[in-house]
Amino acid sequence: MNATEGGTTKGKSSAKRTLLILAGVWIGGIVVLGAIYGLHGTRNKVYEPQNEFKLESWVHLGIFSINKAVLYLVLAAIATCVSMIYIARRMQARPNKVQAAVELLYELMRNQITGSAMSEEMAAKWFPFVGALFLFIMFSNLIGYIPLPTNTEHKIDIAGLHIPSFSLYAATANLSIPLVLALVVFFSYTYEGVRAKGPIGYLKGLIPGGVHGGMAVAIFFLEVLSNFMRILSLTIRLFANILAGHLIILFMAGALAVILGITALGWFTLPFGVLLFAFEVGLVAALQAFIFATLTAIYLGGAVAEDH
Amino acid sequence: MHIALITLLAAATEETAKAGKSIGLGVGGGLGAVGAGVGIGIIFGKAIEAITRQPEMRDEITQLQWLGFALTEACFFYGLVAGLLAAFIV
Repeated sequence: MNATEGGTTKGKSSAKRTLLILAGVWIGGIVVLGAIYGLHGTRNKVYEPQNEFKLESWVHLGIFSINKAVLYLVLAAIATCVSMIYIARRMQARPNKVQAAVELLYELMRNQITGSAMSEEMAAKWFPFVGALFLFIMFSNLIGYIPLPTNTEHKIDIAGLHIPSFSLYAATANLSIPLVLALVVFFSYTYEGVRAKGPIGYLKGLIPGGVHGGMAVAIFFLEVLSNFMRILSLTIRLFANILAGHLIILFMAGALAVILGITALGWFTLPFGVLLFAFEVGLVAALQAFIFATLTAIYLGGAVAEDH
Repeated sequence: MHIALITLLAAATEETAKAGKSIGLGVGGGLGAVGAGVGIGIIFGKAIEAITRQPEMRDEITQLQWLGFALTEACFFYGLVAGLLAAFIV
């Protein structure tokens, strides 16, 4: 803030000073809180912030019970559809900032994700699928970083209203949603491959060119296995990235202090929580969506390719 | 066998199982982090090398770099998930 107003040297020194003051406040806070409340705490059994990962059924419908993950899934779907349709309806020749950002995303999906992995004809056909996957996963990840009152395990009192305490959760931090997405991807590229080459041709196409005899049989089984492993790797990559991000934000931003009952520890970990939050929102959310969509496009392109 | 000895052995096996689970979590998380750390370092190092050699390829290299980063990072999570499975579920 000050850095941009002043000259280069002045801006640099004032930014440095701000940083030093912040570091001083941080270390001083640890010392003061440590001195006041002590470095030993008692384990807190009353309020368990880790319950934000617990799925509690709100509407009981057997296996179709509605819980937090369903809410986040619906929210992400609505956010994706509404925002994209709204922007598409209001397209202008001179784009404003939001439209420019969406157009940038569109370019990314069109050229980098689908365009580089498939032929032109196929890219035109599969672009909606890959693009929708990308946007949905990105929205789902990003919504996960907005604190919403969903932790029904604990209530907080605001002006006489008992509202559930605020927590972070994402649809993609639940194993089942990435798994379903990965299964959809698996079936669509298998379908596309079988349609392009026929069932026998597709299975033959799994063997790389130039391999014959007994070696080909072994390679074939390995390739079939690796095809199924793709489901697992797509799922775990997305799920574990988002879950681990949420867990570490949770613990750094105060849960560790709350569970262990050490006040100074909370102050100590808070800056790391803020940094990790920025890292997750700024990089991981979009990057994981990008990876998922890129791999989908690569698998789709590979399924119809003559040789691999 | 004496009752005391049996209870002692039972307690010892329980402790050993706990220790094994902790080792599983430590190896899964720790070695996974080591491998992924080395891999991510190699990817970014090579990307920097490639960009300094051919700055005009920057965009393509950056895209590949992020792809490689995410694929490598995922390997850490495979280890971590296996460790968590060993510690809490098995």
